[in-house]
Amino acid sequence: MHPLSFRHSSLLTRACLNGRTLSTLPASTSLGCLPTTHSPTVSKLAFFNSVTGDSSKIPSYQVLDVFGVPIEGAKVPEISKQFAWRLYEHMQLLPTLDDILCSGQRQGRIPFYSLTSYLKYGEEATVIGSAAALADDDEVLSQYRETGVLLWRGFTLDGIMAQVFGNHEDSGKGRQIAVHYGSKQHHFHTISSPLATQISQAAGVGFALKRDPARRSKNVACAFFGEGAASEGDFHAGLLLAATLPSPTLFLARNNGFAISTPNSQQFYGDGISARGPGYGVDTVRVDGNDVLAVMNAVKEARRRCLESGRAVLVEMMTYRVGHHSTSDDSYVYRERQEVEDRTKNDNPIARFRLFMESRGWWNETNEDELAFRLRRDVIKAFKRAETVKKPDLKDMFTDVYAEEPWNIKEQREELMALLEKYGQVWEPWQNELRTLKNGGKPVD
Amino acid sequence: MLARRLRSKFPALSCRWQTTASTTAVEPPPAGGHSSSVASSQLFRITRESALRTPGISWQDEESDRNIIGGRETRKMNLYQAVRDALSIALSKDDTAVIFGEDIAFGGVFRCTMGLAEEFGRERVFNTPLTEQGIAGFGIGLASMGHTAIAEIQFADYIYPAFDQLVNEAAKFRYRSGGHFSIGGLTVRTPTMAVGHGGLYHSQSPEGFFMGASGLKVVIPRSPIQCKGLLLSAIRDPNPVIFMEPKILYRSAVEQVPIDDFSLPLSRAEILIPGSDLTLLTWGTPVYHCESALRLLNSPPPSLAPLIPPSLRNAKVELIDLRTILPWDVETVVESVRRTKRLVIVHEAGMTGGVGGEIAAEVGKRAFLRLEAPVRRITGWDVPAGLQFEKFNMPDAVRILDGIMETLSY
Repeated sequence: MHPLSFRHSSLLTRACLNGRTLSTLPASTSLGCLPTTHSPTVSKLAFFNSVTGDSSKIPSYQVLDVFGVPIEGAKVPEISKQFAWRLYEHMQLLPTLDDILCSGQRQGRIPFYSLTSYLKYGEEATVIGSAAALADDDEVLSQYRETGVLLWRGFTLDGIMAQVFGNHEDSGKGRQIAVHYGSKQHHFHTISSPLATQISQAAGVGFALKRDPARRSKNVACAFFGEGAASEGDFHAGLLLAATLPSPTLFLARNNGFAISTPNSQQFYGDGISARGPGYGVDTVRVDGNDVLAVMNAVKEARRRCLESGRAVLVEMMTYRVGHHSTSDDSYVYRERQEVEDRTKNDNPIARFRLFMESRGWWNETNEDELAFRLRRDVIKAFKRAETVKKPDLKDMFTDVYAEEPWNIKEQREELMALLEKYGQVWEPWQNELRTLKNGGKPVD
Repeated sequence: MLARRLRSKFPALSCRWQTTASTTAVEPPPAGGHSSSVASSQLFRITRESALRTPGISWQDEESDRNIIGGRETRKMNLYQAVRDALSIALSKDDTAVIFGEDIAFGGVFRCTMGLAEEFGRERVFNTPLTEQGIAGFGIGLASMGHTAIAEIQFADYIYPAFDQLVNEAAKFRYRSGGHFSIGGLTVRTPTMAVGHGGLYHSQSPEGFFMGASGLKVVIPRSPIQCKGLLLSAIRDPNPVIFMEPKILYRSAVEQVPIDDFSLPLSRAEILIPGSDLTLLTWGTPVYHCESALRLLNSPPPSLAPLIPPSLRNAKVELIDLRTILPWDVETVVESVRRTKRLVIVHEAGMTGGVGGEIAAEVGKRAFLRLEAPVRRITGWDVPAGLQFEKFNMPDAVRILDGIMETLSY
């Protein structure tokens, strides 16, 4: 007997789990498993390329059809009229906010450096539905189209406007462009412009929650991102870490069809973001993102699984970006206006939920008019008020870089102050700028 | 074994074998790298008394009030053991502290985390998948929740996937949130600099790339005592810190290291050898090449004596270890240069864009009229660190000596 085959067959005997009897001949007809992965061995060379197993698209979970009518077999969540109103109000607040900020920006009333505001039209259900399913103290790391989560948690319109205008009431001290909100009180991590960086950070936030005896099994970390951002390496890293270490982290992907001008067909070749979840061993679900009740149900269940397993869970919310990417974008350059109009008419998340509420007798035209009036009034009021508030103190250009102030920043601050002393009262461009700042940019020790 | 069997089968070969395969063959260099400068250095504190007198030591335990210097213990440690000691103290005293990175759990490729997973458990000392951007992002997330996150990047040469997270996120975290969020608990440790056989991708000194990332700190220790004290300071500093450990020193640098909890100050340079004729500024491994250069200058061996003018041999050169690269101790450096009027900066990283340029510009601004020679930088060349050329790429004692002489006689 050749010594090699002896060892070979004893290895198979030890390794294989399915207990088939083995022939001792090298060309064995019975097959077992690979030793370390327990992957069953097969003689047919077959490639696979489908998460569903039959090459069909991953299905989308839905509760209400586009007319707000529960589909067959739907599980409509038990919600009260008040809760439905809360959902609806917050969904309506988002386009109201966008409308007023957009026209405010076009009129030049929002300062030059706040030119770009990322618009949310069309995605109201994804954000409000998710927000409603999370606990208020779940840690949220968002991208930039999820202001709805902040508003749901009670962040004020004044706070919104302060950041958009970058005035001295902004908790971020006017340092970032519009919609880069942050609020420790609301467990909403400050937004940053680089895409997807929040996804791998969320895995770390989740790990901290797991390690904290006060929050373990109570809270999850939740990362929001678009389907375009999901192309970044941080998406891969975040899911990999949260699945493997593991850490209780929810990954909520808004698939809205576009990354600026790039449609999905140019962003990925696979079946959306959901197809990637199983690649990391992550429980995944795809949901109709324009159905607020479906989103709420799905995220609730995702959150439950996440807490129970302490591991990553992925939700892909299918929606459509009705608005332009931002106020700096004209999307009709790269897509048909007709397509946008059709989607707005035929698959409108707000209209869908309103029809549902009306079918329950919870909403009527009077309610609609009153709400529209009230929301517009409140947003305009906050807008106008924020216009009058001065920009931050100039010294805040130099604070918070480090916990303390190192020599280089101290000296540079003093250098600028000296220049302002010298030229600030006589050079008109500087004078005009200083007048917009709190304390007129005067040197503060 | 094979040689002997071949020789017995093919006796004709034995002569050639004997001449080329001598039994007294040269020993291969130690796996951790070897430097004659390090081996012969007098700068290590190898006695307990000298170790306890390390300038700037700040004891971090309750005993500090009783000032029992005479009673504190030290233990012989090399650099990786000092790292390990610091990490062990950090984990013991801070329940939120965790250590993570590639291959951390079994002890680390440089043994810096030996036994820590066994001692503190796998939830606190654990492996991550192979993703530097993930390691950095994860660490930032953890630190944003107020936890102490000690990340390891296996080689500084592989820190670049984490560059976005470190520069765009970590450095700006506090600033962009208006001071409401911060990640002071983040420390990123990474082995750096040449090791003798590392080539392009196991020898780099990337500290220069981070100079523009205001909000980060960068620290580079030269010895076991320095490493332990600076690392504990870095971990506890309320800012994110990148801590770069010269890998050639992991085994070859040995000192008596105080076993207690102590810190050494960040952003404070240390004058190792006082002088009056020239300031020699460096950090990490080159500290020891500088020391050798000074020895060659003051008492040259016969082979070099003809090349070293006797008038220069009495020069008193002040050797400074910068220790913290960002923010760096401009005060100590400028005060020194004002006295000596000449500055030579040495670093392994390439000339262009290296930290030396930043220091030279700042010193030039503050001591312009005092300087009697241009600030001289002796650095790696502007080439990737080619394996077979390392001896002539990294600045060694003779190159440093030459630069000192040139500056002294400008």
